[in-house]
Order: sequence, then structure tokens, then C-alpha cells
Amino acid sequence: MRNRLRVLRAEVDWSQADLAERLGVSRQTVNAIETGKYDPSLPLAFTIARTFNRRIEEIFDSPQPAGLASTRARL
Amino acid sequence: MSEQKPNPDDTPIEPLYTHPASPFLRTESTAPARVDMPTPPAFQSTWVTYRAQIEFGLAMLAYLMVLVGSVTVLQANPGASWRYVVAVLPVAPAALTLWIFIRAISRMDELHKRIQMQAFGFSLGGTALLTFGYGFLEGVGMPHLSWTFILPLMAILWGVGAAIFTMRYR
Repeated sequence: MRNRLRVLRAEVDWSQADLAERLGVSRQTVNAIETGKYDPSLPLAFTIARTFNRRIEEIFDSPQPAGLASTRARL
Repeated sequence: MSEQKPNPDDTPIEPLYTHPASPFLRTESTAPARVDMPTPPAFQSTWVTYRAQIEFGLAMLAYLMVLVGSVTVLQANPGASWRYVVAVLPVAPAALTLWIFIRAISRMDELHKRIQMQAFGFSLGGTALLTFGYGFLEGVGMPHLSWTFILPLMAILWGVGAAIFTMRYR
């Protein structure tokens, strides 16, 4: 899943450790989310969204599955 | 009446300018220089940072001490009626170690819990493969190994698995 976490973090000039402290997770977790190696749970995603005063879909973006896209095109 | 200008030659000599590089004269800037220093990270004690590791290490130390004591006492009293009680005594610090371990895992964040779960899966699968493999080899003549090797094998594979899966999320 793609996300804008690094950009949002840079806007408020926080380090990964700063954000990790605010979210109550480790710095490694923040790094794994930013690099797309780990998708956060729904509660953590909500916490991230609240921290940046955004909606979840403004931060996280999932590529649309091919099957769903073709179904919509047929409709 | 006009004001007479002072003769520049009569003014006192300012030592600051006449000896700018003198090591004997103290030169001070008019305003203190202000440099924005980065704020130091919040201090965290060793206990806070490594609490789980320290507790785990102490519990393991207690386990080893009770184990060595139990074995020593049993070797000295092989026929005593209370030998069964002494033989299972190391289980108590082992249970304490397990409790500390479970508590440490419950304190982890979701990524580290996932890493631990993957490492345990790796450890369980690896131990199953190795013990079954060696079991088949024992059937064709390899020497019999004690069951007590299984736990250290699981622990080693868990450590290896934890390292592998931690690297995966770096």
C-alpha cells in the first residue's frame, strides 16, 4: 500500500522517532510503513490520520485490484 | 563662541583596537552569540530501554542456578524420597521466564508482534523438520539424542528467524 507518511512528516518537520513517539510505536515500525514494507492495522492507521488531522484515504492509497477495475469498466 | 574640536592625538588610545590580536587583552563581543543547538534526545534509563532483556536475563540466571543446584543435590542423594520434588524445581524459574517473555511480547507494537509470530513459525517449522529428519536417521542407526535438545534448537531457530524477519522490514 502506498502512503504519504514521509511527505506529511516532512511538512511538520518531525523525525521518524518523533512520529513513533506520538503514535506509540517503534521507529522501525514508522520506517517500515513509510517504505511500504508494512501495512499498519486499522487502529494504527486511524491514529496516524488523527495525528496529521487528515482522513485515512488522504494518507494511504491502495492500488485498485485488476478484477475490480475490469468489472467497473464493464458496468 | 565656537566649540573647539578635540585634537585626535589627545584622545586616549583604545587598547582593544591597538592590540587586536594580543593574547593578554580580553576581547569580548558586544552581544553574546546565539547558536541554535539541537535539543538533546529525551533521556531514557537503561532500565526503561532494556527492561525486558534485563528481566529475561535475570530469570534465565535464576533458572540456571536452580538447575545446577537441583542436579548437584540429586547427584548427591540419588535414592532420596524427595528427589522428584527437587528434580522439577527448575520448572519454577522457567515458568517465571515464560511469564516475563509473554509480558514482553504483549508490550511490543504490532510490527514487532508480527516479526515474533513469523519467527516462532520459522522456529516451529524448522524444529519439526530437523527433529523428524533426525528421527528418520535414528531409525537407520544414527545415535539417539535426548529430548532436551529440542528446546535449545527451537530457541536458536527462533533467534535466527527473528533476525531474518527483522531485516525484512528494515
